[in-house]
Amino acid sequence: MTLEGWVPQINEYTSLREVVDFAFDYRGNTTVVKRDGGEIVGYIFNRDADAPEAFIQLFDEQGEGPFTIPYRDIATIKFTGKDTAAGNSWKAWVERKEKERALRAAASGADRLGRDPGPDGG
Amino acid sequence: MSVPVSQMYTVASYILKQKLRGRKRYPFVLMLEPLFRCNLACAGCGKIQYPAQILKKHLTVEQCLAAVAECGAPIVSIPGGEPLMYPDIDKLVTELVKRRKYIYLCTNALLLKEKLHLFTPSKYLTFSVHMDGLREDHDEAVCRDGVFDEAVEGIKAALQRGFRVTTNTTLFDGASPLRMREFFDEMMDLGVEGMMLSPGYSYSKAPDQEHFLHQARTNHLFSEMLSKPKRRWKFNQSPLFLRFLMGKKDFECTPWGNPTFNMFGWQRPCYLLQEGYAASFQELMDGTKWESYGKKSGNEKCRDCMVHCGYEATAVDHTFSSLKGFAETVSVTLSGRL
Repeated sequence: MTLEGWVPQINEYTSLREVVDFAFDYRGNTTVVKRDGGEIVGYIFNRDADAPEAFIQLFDEQGEGPFTIPYRDIATIKFTGKDTAAGNSWKAWVERKEKERALRAAASGADRLGRDPGPDGG
Repeated sequence: MSVPVSQMYTVASYILKQKLRGRKRYPFVLMLEPLFRCNLACAGCGKIQYPAQILKKHLTVEQCLAAVAECGAPIVSIPGGEPLMYPDIDKLVTELVKRRKYIYLCTNALLLKEKLHLFTPSKYLTFSVHMDGLREDHDEAVCRDGVFDEAVEGIKAALQRGFRVTTNTTLFDGASPLRMREFFDEMMDLGVEGMMLSPGYSYSKAPDQEHFLHQARTNHLFSEMLSKPKRRWKFNQSPLFLRFLMGKKDFECTPWGNPTFNMFGWQRPCYLLQEGYAASFQELMDGTKWESYGKKSGNEKCRDCMVHCGYEATAVDHTFSSLKGFAETVSVTLSGRL
């Protein structure tokens, strides 16, 4: 499951703190929408909800930063970037390998059949 | 054990100094990650999953050296990412050698042969080559065919030029003890100085959560693999840590033992868990709620963890905390029986 494309609404059911935690765990860029209407796209690598002034830290899309944004300035965070962790599991790799092996085995079997003159020589 | 005497002496005197100073928490190995970029994309690794702008960035040599000075640990492990892709790796290593830090440059060795000319053999520098098993097992673990053979070529070239070379192996669920024993033989035949082993850990951000080991299976695997160890097998790590992996010792985690520094800062609380970053080493040590980590804490993220970066420091500390611990280490080392 991926959060890619999620545009959370901060309300009584979804707190900003929860959304920040999801964004912190997200392996991809997000768009931080500020209360003043400004937006910044980047990778959130740090957050501290327990600091005297709760904040997030991010590097923007160009890799500039770190920029620190207090929670109080954030309206929401949109999960706009590609989730780079999605679909890259070991399971997928092993399945791919097994498929390749099966295809290779089938191909070499077919090749052998084509060349094999058979038990009666013909 | 295959750690050279000078390195053992440095570590022992460092630990005794910390104890004499009454420091309850002190670092043992700095995990210095100058970059996250890698030339492999292993399924078990969460580091290479960062967005492109993060993968393009790296620390400066000055930032690395400042972190080394701030931390003060006698050993600096350079993982990553692939450290041989770091453009200033030669300068960084030269500076660390000048500072008499024992360096473990953790590499997949794909670039080792090509970059060896950048380095000078030294007792302070060890290439710690990532090898997760025999050819088929390793290539499967790193999700690319042919890597094992290239790594072997790199190891041979480094040994030929007189460098210290060890291997580091992460074991996942499904590893075969018999094949691992064959692997130990093969690595010793290559002539490496020693081998390092650790069970894998489920990175909360790694895409693969299924193949990491849980405690009982870890004990079982390591017991089978290391029972009646051959005299020729050399391990470049604490024998008490290996006994812990076999279930013969019970240790608590030392999460501050291997502090991690990268472009985000000082990682809280350890090399494996990423719960945030501190701006300075002191802030990491003073501001982390250490009691929330380790098995005793009940933290579910720590429940099944038996990884070297949390427990090897405990094992080494145990050696120097009492005569009993010291005698046990000496006895296991001399007898070769784990």
